[in-house]
Amino acid sequence: MGWAFYNVPCSDTNTSLHPFSLAKGLVTSGRNTCTPYHSSTVKIPFVAILRTNLHQEMNYFPDEVIEHIFDSIASHRDRNSISLVSKSWHKIERCCRRRVFIGNCYAISPERLIGRFPCLKSLTLKGKPHFADFNLVPHEWGGFVHPWIDALARARVGLEELRLKRMVVSDESLELLSRSFANFKSLVLVSCEGFTTDGLASIAANCRHLRELDLQENEIDDHRGQWLNCFPDSCTTLTSLNFACLKGETNLSALERLVARSPSLKSLKVNRAVPLDALTRLMSCAPQLVDLGVGSYENEPDTESFAKLLAAIKKCTSLRSLSGFSEVAPLCLTAFYPICQNLTYLNLSYAAEIHGNHLVKFIQFCKRLQRLWILDSIGDKGLEVVASACKELQELRVFPSDLHDEEDNNAAVTEVGLVAISAGCRKLHSILYFCKQMTNAALITVAKNCPNFIRFRLCILEPNKPDHVTSQSLDEGFGAVVQACKGLRRLSVSGLLTDKVFLYIGMYAEQLEMLSIAFAGDTDKGMLYVLNGCKKLRKLEIRDSPFGNAALLADVDKYETMRSLWMSSCDVTLGGCKRLARDAPWLNVEIINENEDNGMERNEEDEREKVDRLYLYRTVVGTRNDAPSCVTIL
Amino acid sequence: MEISNSYSPYSSSSVDSTKPSPSESSVNLSLSLTFPSTSPQREARQDWPPIKPLLRDKLKGRRLLQRGGGTSFFVKVYMEGVPIGRKLDLCAFSGYESLLENLSHMFDTSIICGNRDRKHHVLTYQDKDGDWMMVGDIPWDMFLETVRRLKITRPERC
Repeated sequence: MGWAFYNVPCSDTNTSLHPFSLAKGLVTSGRNTCTPYHSSTVKIPFVAILRTNLHQEMNYFPDEVIEHIFDSIASHRDRNSISLVSKSWHKIERCCRRRVFIGNCYAISPERLIGRFPCLKSLTLKGKPHFADFNLVPHEWGGFVHPWIDALARARVGLEELRLKRMVVSDESLELLSRSFANFKSLVLVSCEGFTTDGLASIAANCRHLRELDLQENEIDDHRGQWLNCFPDSCTTLTSLNFACLKGETNLSALERLVARSPSLKSLKVNRAVPLDALTRLMSCAPQLVDLGVGSYENEPDTESFAKLLAAIKKCTSLRSLSGFSEVAPLCLTAFYPICQNLTYLNLSYAAEIHGNHLVKFIQFCKRLQRLWILDSIGDKGLEVVASACKELQELRVFPSDLHDEEDNNAAVTEVGLVAISAGCRKLHSILYFCKQMTNAALITVAKNCPNFIRFRLCILEPNKPDHVTSQSLDEGFGAVVQACKGLRRLSVSGLLTDKVFLYIGMYAEQLEMLSIAFAGDTDKGMLYVLNGCKKLRKLEIRDSPFGNAALLADVDKYETMRSLWMSSCDVTLGGCKRLARDAPWLNVEIINENEDNGMERNEEDEREKVDRLYLYRTVVGTRNDAPSCVTIL
Repeated sequence: MEISNSYSPYSSSSVDSTKPSPSESSVNLSLSLTFPSTSPQREARQDWPPIKPLLRDKLKGRRLLQRGGGTSFFVKVYMEGVPIGRKLDLCAFSGYESLLENLSHMFDTSIICGNRDRKHHVLTYQDKDGDWMMVGDIPWDMFLETVRRLKITRPERC
């Protein structure tokens, strides 16, 4: 028997590996399939086979070989595809599966997860729906991680990594986590709440092999304790530490000692309470840092401090990513000039007081920037500078710096800045843009300049605002975007929009997976265009739009293909939701009420009454039992 | 800012948006309707624009600290037992003392914050978490960032 060498293609996020092409490739001897993606070479026995029944032929290979092949396939979707090919592949796949992603923690139960994937090492869980970020979901709604940690602990799963988003985490959960998994390495919490620094102390003290503790935008009760002190002296394996969201004081000497004994530390993001001189010392003992988040520096440093800071920064030649800057004085920012040209990611979106000029002066030297997060105080002129300087830019986020739309705020960005960026930054694929005004002409130009958008989120601050030049709706502008950007996966629309924009979206947005709608549309037809047209739609979230029962109930089976649907301040009624719940028992249909009282006491429920907030999602485990009183599950 | 009648988006979700007159809502999210064209200021919405809490708090705090023409932050003030409330621009005051002085004039009674005293009214406020707290415990700047409304309670209540 001869041997064949095969380059196993590993897909990037854009393409999905069809299981049969994988199997087909395996038995083509001698032919190296060149792929642009990274790949691993597998040496396998050559077998002459037919193109069909490949999985049966592959069963001649020992399981370890097949597992090895599967190991090189990282994407969750591809692994899901593989598991569907045959029973034996399903069995092999599930036993060697290391990483699992669960987009909705209520879609499945911990027991079933562990039953299917006993060798799990890394788990990602998401809890509350996206609009929870904007205060539309009550705090007590749910998304508790404790049952998951409990079940994993009891089953003695060898958990090494846990990534949570919008979940409720308690100190008890963190304590249990820290004591239950001897090899635990990485904890990433994004937009979570419910815990304090005491929980962090448990993690620090008990996780002997901790490499990563990454806390992004969580609500953490800061007990001003000594959690940093709880890292034992023997802890030297940290690669990433992010506690930027902590609001209290930080034990600086504990932090400095920790950083000094962590030679592998690549990412460090400190909180506001770390002053400039401490930052200087930290950078001096960690010049290997790749990713740095700094504190708040509203006062200009004196000459000596500035010199020391500059010297420390110059040594950080590996620095590629810079963030923090809760406030930053202009002189302070200039200390970072030496490493400007190396930066690929820059986040200045919290520096609300610094004038746009200083931002522009800094950014113009960041020639290699790929991701930029900034406030709209940079202005259109500033964006024009970005467009000419940052040719490698792939992602741009421009946040509002003024919530109250002051009449005299002329410095903020408009459609002019957006067009400039699209003209100058041809590699741009993701944008989040808050602005006061927009025109169809601008959007059409942007679409023509950048047909490669994957994520396009535009938020015009004033709801229902039309094209400010023609006073028409922005249907045509967004229509141009969905038509030109064939790979568009995520879209947020705003401004004055009729049903027509949804007709365009349904017609052209073939790859669309997530759509956010606010204050848009005229009739149920709008929502129907989207539900009928967007075949790959997974998440739909709608607020303050006139869509009602007719749209909700038209195609109930559609919701089985989606992760979730959110509708708030729309026209769906209680009767409609009840009917949906009856017709689709595999959905959890949740009504979130305004006050706790309203939910349960209404015996004489008026089915014609409009529902405040509706959240529905597919699930294989039925109704959850941890819902608070303000949530009614139909 | 020009506010036209098409501003039904600002109506409370539990109110039928076809109702002609805007009405106060008791929604937990503390949305309140703006009256067309007459009031240039409005209370900050908690759910629009769609930005995350960290940035929202940052920007709110920032705005309140800005001095200069045009900056204002109106909150509602109720006296317990009196159904009709007043509106007060907190930016007009430099601290708790001037606030109390002004309120005492407005409601024509003596108001204190802090120590309970059977004789005087006590000033309380509702913070961004929805909890009712005694005025005066936290620094003025922090107070401005977190206060949503004020209530003057009867002496024996606290």
